[in-house]
Amino acid sequence: MKSRIVTALVCLMLGACAAQNVRFSKLPPETPAANNAAALENAKALVAAMEEAKAEGDASAPAPLLPPLTTADVPSMDTYDPWERMNRFTYRFNARFDDYVFLPVANGYGHLPRPVRAGVHNFFGNLSEVVSMTNFVLQGRLGHSARSLGRFAINSTLGIGGLFDVAKKMKLKPAPTGFATTLSKWGMHPGPFLVIPFYGPATLRDGIGLAGDFGTSYAIDTGGLYRATDKSWAIGVTNAVDLRANIAFRYNSTGSPFEYEMIRFLYVRRLLIEDEGLHVDDPSKLRGPPAPAGQ
Amino acid sequence: MFVRIMAVCTLSGLLACPLSSVAQDAVLPVDGPATGLADSAALRATVFGTPPQDLAPQPDLVPMVQIDIAMPWKRPVPAVFWFNKRLRVWFSEQPGPAPLAIIIAGTGSDGNTSTISLLRGALYGAGYHVLTMPSPTFPGFIVSTSSTGVAGDLKQDARDLYSAMQRIIANLPKSVRVTDIDVLGYSLGGANAAVVKSMDGVERKLGIRRAVMINPPVSLFSSIGRLDKLFTQSIGSGDAGIEQLYQKLYVQLANLYRVSNEVQVDGNFLYGAAATVLRTDAEFSAAIALTFRIALVNMFFAGDLYAKTGVVVDPKHPPRVGDSLAQINRTLRGKPFSEYFEKVFAPYYMAHRPGATRESLVAENRLDIIADELRGDPDYFVQTNRDDLILDKSELQWLERTLGDRIAVYEHGGHLGNIGERQQIADLLDMLAGRWNGDAK
Repeated sequence: MKSRIVTALVCLMLGACAAQNVRFSKLPPETPAANNAAALENAKALVAAMEEAKAEGDASAPAPLLPPLTTADVPSMDTYDPWERMNRFTYRFNARFDDYVFLPVANGYGHLPRPVRAGVHNFFGNLSEVVSMTNFVLQGRLGHSARSLGRFAINSTLGIGGLFDVAKKMKLKPAPTGFATTLSKWGMHPGPFLVIPFYGPATLRDGIGLAGDFGTSYAIDTGGLYRATDKSWAIGVTNAVDLRANIAFRYNSTGSPFEYEMIRFLYVRRLLIEDEGLHVDDPSKLRGPPAPAGQ
Repeated sequence: MFVRIMAVCTLSGLLACPLSSVAQDAVLPVDGPATGLADSAALRATVFGTPPQDLAPQPDLVPMVQIDIAMPWKRPVPAVFWFNKRLRVWFSEQPGPAPLAIIIAGTGSDGNTSTISLLRGALYGAGYHVLTMPSPTFPGFIVSTSSTGVAGDLKQDARDLYSAMQRIIANLPKSVRVTDIDVLGYSLGGANAAVVKSMDGVERKLGIRRAVMINPPVSLFSSIGRLDKLFTQSIGSGDAGIEQLYQKLYVQLANLYRVSNEVQVDGNFLYGAAATVLRTDAEFSAAIALTFRIALVNMFFAGDLYAKTGVVVDPKHPPRVGDSLAQINRTLRGKPFSEYFEKVFAPYYMAHRPGATRESLVAENRLDIIADELRGDPDYFVQTNRDDLILDKSELQWLERTLGDRIAVYEHGGHLGNIGERQQIADLLDMLAGRWNGDAK
């Protein structure tokens, strides 16, 4: 079975390289009415959040723990990328895989009714709470860990095995974390930029974190889903398709030859800002060499 | 509301949304017009777009087919553009016979932007088949479809667009029954649409019925000059200005994040951050100028590569797939449009178009080249705003004079900031359907 899947994938990838004059790809339909309604809700929620923040700010402005960052603390605009050549080839491989295999499958999945997709998405979100809970403990953030535990308990029971995110309605919002963040908390710098095959942009620390998360899931084996080989294949693939279907990013939609640079820049800066938040109590763990960023 | 900001965030590579950093020690006045080029409301409308509560009703579902199509006349694809071998367009098909509306995107954009989505939804809801195409200045178009590789010339770009449209329509499935063809576009795409219709008026290969230009430029180069000026005034000249902007922005975001309770820098955090830190005219100007500059960087690179003008790309050793482009990117970020014109565009067209001079190239890139059609043909329409920051007063007057009662001028909206709004959509549909009577402003 596995070899058949691999053969099919290789054929698809090779077929992709063959010249085709016209290719039609059916995408999931756009839902503009629902999008507009969602935008309206977001706008309202934002206004409410701003008013709430303003009220809180008026009541008691908390003293900042640290002096605010200044421009002297900002990492260079360059990113530490010693494996750039390999990364760029992997990026191209991922883009092609996405275009010819991953997205068509995710698009097919996108034709399923919305409640079904939401159920699948919630199900995997709920499973990931186990990893989050463990890592929050390792990070010493017990409050967050308790929240993940609460979400897992509520959604697994009231949410019928995680198919419904009941906890979110009870104002327990999801806040996923993983082993990469734990490593950061323990003082590991992001390391070189790394494009992981089939996965996408990351850093070395993220790569190790991913392996750690996989190991955690495997060790805990929630619901016996990760070790039974017949089920774990299906679970892994469905999880990946659900993830892809929920990520708006499309390779090469910028059309820009500098897309790799843009993604690398944004990805690593986002990570570094998260690190700033993580080490707000102990910035000595944060400051690496001044340049390039991520080292 | 924030779709556009997020698009800016993603594309700019500098999280252009929270630019408050600039304001901290801004040389610019914080209140009132930052640049003299546009007023505060126009800048805000340009960045935020139509507020969700003012959007015209949209249909529940719009079917989408992505079409990747090879153009037989395409030039060899440079290694570094491995992903752009075919032109990518999007098509939404009506179940029965229907008119076809072709939408052309604005400068540097592909055919599936959030602005396009608003127009596509409205047109599909009104019963059109909808085909959406990238701007001829989008790198994907330059590589797959342009016959020169040097984008930004109204006539040449219209020629390439027109050829591409014919090929796409000829390749549509047989089930698609088209009764009439209309073209429309926003910003530069508006000017492109009008020139394509004028070309079709002579050659009659498609039989285009009507054309609507939404927020078009009158003179390409004067509009772009205004955007360059906006960049210099709000960010500074050269790459140093960008570096400074980045540092201030990073500090602002990191400080906000450190006091927030968020566990991730995600959409939620960025929405909140954008609302907190995007406040002054200078910041809004910087967001707009930066978005445009990113588009220019791509166009500059492709033009330099194809025209072999050697500004940043060594014509003898063009970059390959695994090569770093960071240095080239850094150099181009600091270059204004005037340099693209002087060093790539003008040399290329002067060498390939007999008798062309710098002055003639500027003159040929004005809507004047189709002034007779715009004046005399009742099937050209314009929608624009009195505070559109790419037009000056005389250009707006020229449009009003030339189009007569076939122009709708809205008081407010900046550049593209009222697309999708109820009145704008109602007028657009009236114009395309031949119901426009000029009094519904």
